[in-house]
Amino acid sequence: MRALTVARIDLKRLSVRPFAWTLAGIVLAMMAWQFLLGVSAFMHAQPTLPGATGPGFTDSVIAPYLLNYIQLCLVIAPLVTMQALAGERDAQRLALLSAAGTGAAQIVLGKFCARLAFLWLLLAVVASLPLVLAHATHLDWGQFAAGLIATALCVAALTAIGIACSAFTPQPALAATAALLIGEALALIDAGVRLTGGDAGWLGYLALHTHLAPALRGLVRSGDLVYFLVITVLALALAIRRVGGDRERG
Amino acid sequence: MTERPALLELASVGRHLGGRAVLHAVSFSLNPGDVLGLLGANGAGKSTTLAIIAGVLAPDSGEVRIAGQAVHDHRAAANRIGWVPENVPLWAELTVTEALDACGRLHGLSRDIRKIAIERELARLELNAVAQRLCGQLSLGQKRRVGLAQALLHEPELLVLDEPGNGLDPVQSAQWQVLVKKLAPKHGIILSSHDLAEVEAMCSRVVILHEGKVRHDARLDGKSGELDRQFRAIAQKSASKAACAH
Repeated sequence: MRALTVARIDLKRLSVRPFAWTLAGIVLAMMAWQFLLGVSAFMHAQPTLPGATGPGFTDSVIAPYLLNYIQLCLVIAPLVTMQALAGERDAQRLALLSAAGTGAAQIVLGKFCARLAFLWLLLAVVASLPLVLAHATHLDWGQFAAGLIATALCVAALTAIGIACSAFTPQPALAATAALLIGEALALIDAGVRLTGGDAGWLGYLALHTHLAPALRGLVRSGDLVYFLVITVLALALAIRRVGGDRERG
Repeated sequence: MTERPALLELASVGRHLGGRAVLHAVSFSLNPGDVLGLLGANGAGKSTTLAIIAGVLAPDSGEVRIAGQAVHDHRAAANRIGWVPENVPLWAELTVTEALDACGRLHGLSRDIRKIAIERELARLELNAVAQRLCGQLSLGQKRRVGLAQALLHEPELLVLDEPGNGLDPVQSAQWQVLVKKLAPKHGIILSSHDLAEVEAMCSRVVILHEGKVRHDARLDGKSGELDRQFRAIAQKSASKAACAH
C-alpha cells in the first residue's frame, strides 16, 4: 500500500516536471518519424516482395519500430530513473519516507512503478500508431502482441537497472551514466559475434537482442521472459538492499 | 502502583559515522508534556541523536524506547513520532495540500481522517493562504511550518524538531516559540538548538551534548542565565582540556 503511495507521489512529481514532458515529446516525435519512414519504405518495397511468403507489414514495419523504441529506452530510461533515489537521499526525502515508516522495499518498488508507468504510457502511445493502419493492412496480431510483451518487459528491466544505479550513486548524472553503460553493454555485448555470424555462447545469452529477436518475430519463449524478469528482480533487490542499508551507513 | 514509563528513553546510545564516534553512550528520557532542548555546539551530535530517535539512523549500540517499548523495528514506532529535520524535506513539485495528503497516506490515514487532519493543520499552522501553492515556491519559514504540519498530521505522541529556529528572522523565530509552547501540552517535544535563548524560551528541560556525550541534564528552573553559565563552563572545560593536550 505504501509502495503505491510512493508511486503516486512520484508520478505526480513526474507529471508536473517540464523535463518529463519534453522527453515524452521528443520520444514521440522521433517514434512518429521512424514509423512514417518505415511505412514509406514498406510501400516502396511492396511491389518487389513475394506475396504470401515474404515479410509483411508487421515484420517490415512494426518489429523494427518496436526495436527502435527499445533503443531509445536505453537512453531515456536512465534519464527518467536517475533522480529516483540519487539526489533524493541528499535532499532527505528518502529519510522523510523512512521516518513515516516506509520500508526500503516499498520505497524502491514505488519509485520503480512510477518510472515504469511513465515509460509504459509512452509505449502505449507508441504502440497505438501502427493500430491506425490496422484496417488498411493485414496486421499479425499475435506477432504484434509478442513484440509488445517483450518490449514492455525489456523496458521494465532497463528501468530496474536505472533504479539500481540511482540507489548506488550519490549524483543523478553518475546514475544516468552508469545505467546507460550497463544498458548499452547488454545491447552490444554480442555485437561482434553477431556481425561475424559465430556462436556467441554465454555472451549471446546475456545480450538483450537474443531475447528480443524471437519475440519480435512472434515467438514468445519462457526463457526470454525469465531473462527479463531475472534482470528486473536482481536490479530491484540490489537497490532495496542498498536503500535498506542507509539506516546503518548513515 | 506501577510507574508510567517515559515517553522517550535513550539508553546508552552510541553511533559511529565515517569511522568517527559521534555519540558515546547517550542516555536521557522525556516525559509526556515535556519540551526537551538538546543543546550543543556544531558537531556535538544533536542531529545524529534526533535522527536515531526518528528512526532514520540505526544506533550502533544502546536502545531507544518509546513508551517503554524498545524500537527494534522502526516502522512500528513511526506513527508515534513526528520528525522535522533541519533542512525540511518537501516535494517541491507538489502543492502544500498534496504534500500533506501524501504524508497522511504514508501514515495510513483513511481519506476522511486525512481530510480532517489536513484542514486542522492548515488552520493551526496558518497555512491556508498557501495551501494551493507549490512547496518549492514557499519561504523558509513557510517550509518549516509545512514540515511541522507533515509531522503533526498523524497526531504523534513525540515531536522531534531539528534546529527549528535556524535561518528564521526574529519574528518567525518568536512565532515558532509560541507554536512549540502551544503544542507542548499534547505532545512530548524534543528539539535541538545551539541558541541558548531559544532553548530557555521554549524548553522545560535541557540536555547539553558535547563531543557526543551528555554533559548536563536538568530541568530549567527559570533563572535567566543559568543555562548560559552551564554551557560556558562546559565549553571552557573542553577548551582548557584541548589546550593541555596541545
